[in-house]
Amino acid sequence: MGIEIRDVHKAFGSKEVLRGFSAEAHDGETLVILGGSGSGKSVTLKHIVGLLAPDRGEVWVDGLRVDELDREGLFELRRNVGYVFQFAALFDSMTVAENVGMGLKRLTGVSKEDRMRRVEECLERVDMVGYGERLPAELSGGQKKRVGIARAIATEPRYILYDEPTTGLDPMTRAVIDQLINRMKAELGVTGIVITHDMESAFRVADRFAMIHDGKQQFQGSPDEIRSSADPMVRAFIEGRPELIEEAE
Amino acid sequence: MVGLGQWGRMVWEAIVSLRDVDVWLGLTLRQLTRVGVDSVPIALFIAMFTGIVLALQASYTFTGAIPLYFVGVLVGKTMMLELGPVLTGLALSGRVGANISAELGTMRVTEQIDALETMAYPPVAYLVVPRVLAGIIMFPLVTALAIGVGIAAGWLTSLQLLDMSTYEFVYGLTLFFQPFDVTFAMVKTISFGFVVTSIGCFYGFRTRGGAEGVGRSTTQAVVVSSMVILVLDAFWAITLL
Repeated sequence: MGIEIRDVHKAFGSKEVLRGFSAEAHDGETLVILGGSGSGKSVTLKHIVGLLAPDRGEVWVDGLRVDELDREGLFELRRNVGYVFQFAALFDSMTVAENVGMGLKRLTGVSKEDRMRRVEECLERVDMVGYGERLPAELSGGQKKRVGIARAIATEPRYILYDEPTTGLDPMTRAVIDQLINRMKAELGVTGIVITHDMESAFRVADRFAMIHDGKQQFQGSPDEIRSSADPMVRAFIEGRPELIEEAE
Repeated sequence: MVGLGQWGRMVWEAIVSLRDVDVWLGLTLRQLTRVGVDSVPIALFIAMFTGIVLALQASYTFTGAIPLYFVGVLVGKTMMLELGPVLTGLALSGRVGANISAELGTMRVTEQIDALETMAYPPVAYLVVPRVLAGIIMFPLVTALAIGVGIAAGWLTSLQLLDMSTYEFVYGLTLFFQPFDVTFAMVKTISFGFVVTSIGCFYGFRTRGGAEGVGRSTTQAVVVSSMVILVLDAFWAITLL
């Protein structure tokens, strides 16, 4: 059934971050949300798992309206949504294996043996076998991101949200993370939303694009459509040429 | 007032979260060690020197006017009713309150608390309840030890430096002792344990702005909990004595 963000408004104090943003991710596809720094991409993602509630508008996941779910409903929803944080957000006092197994501990009916087996499987999927006993402080930025992905897929969610998964990584590691995102979709059939301003990475993983500007949807369409878009704002962003906006004005 | 309301809301949420026993029970056992056992050395260090000074100052004040066994009265009453609970509370607000605020503040700014929520863990049950319960349980135990060590230090000082006998010291110690003294001390320390840990959690949870924000939260947690300890100290004296 996918994820649908409908006309969401969100302000923090007097600062309006989202001013009627809408986007949708269909089942089995990867939607990339583009936007500059501070444009509200992360805020949008946090609405999908109920970490933030919209001031106005609606967020739907799997046919459930997120902003109207009660505590138990939210917990149930979150079991179906994996979240990969920008800086991995690994629990620094826990080992890699404990981090990956955290979500599984909350599931009833999963024995310790099953949990450990699942943790190993997830680490294998992200090519991190043998790192289970290490602490996050002993990992590189790219390794932390991979562990973050392993943690997100551990509970076999139907959706994965990636918050700037390639920011701050070298080109080789960025390509590895992009391959992982595509593998998660192909092997696990998950629906993904990736927020990024890294265009190279975006074109590698996107089935569709949405662009956020000034708190609203500036564009939604396929990779071919965004490449051929005549919108100066879109072109300026994907080509990295801010002068196009000035020329259009 | 806004902060007080937000703190009250967090405390209420912690009370409601007591139903998530599977989340907080195991973590509380770990916090009992961190909040309590690890605080024993600093609490006993402070209590020992306080007991020594109390005995010497009492002797200095009483000499020639009041029988020396009143040194035992003063050391016992002061350690139990005032200095044991308050000095231990203030020391632990620095050690425990700062530790909690810095830890949760760092978790907040690195999105670890958000990560907990996305994995269906209620953060208040996972982070606040174990720490506050540990404070309520362990502050009285640590304070009881501190009171015992303070009195023992006063007794040894009286024997070695004041030419008093054990009989005189113990006579003074028990002369005006009432079981209510223990109740009074414990009520105070339970309330101190609650405010130090809950205020530490509160400032940690609302941390914003990276390392600077963590530093600010930690300072605020220690300053505010120290002030609240002194206010509560006066409150209990007015209402219970």
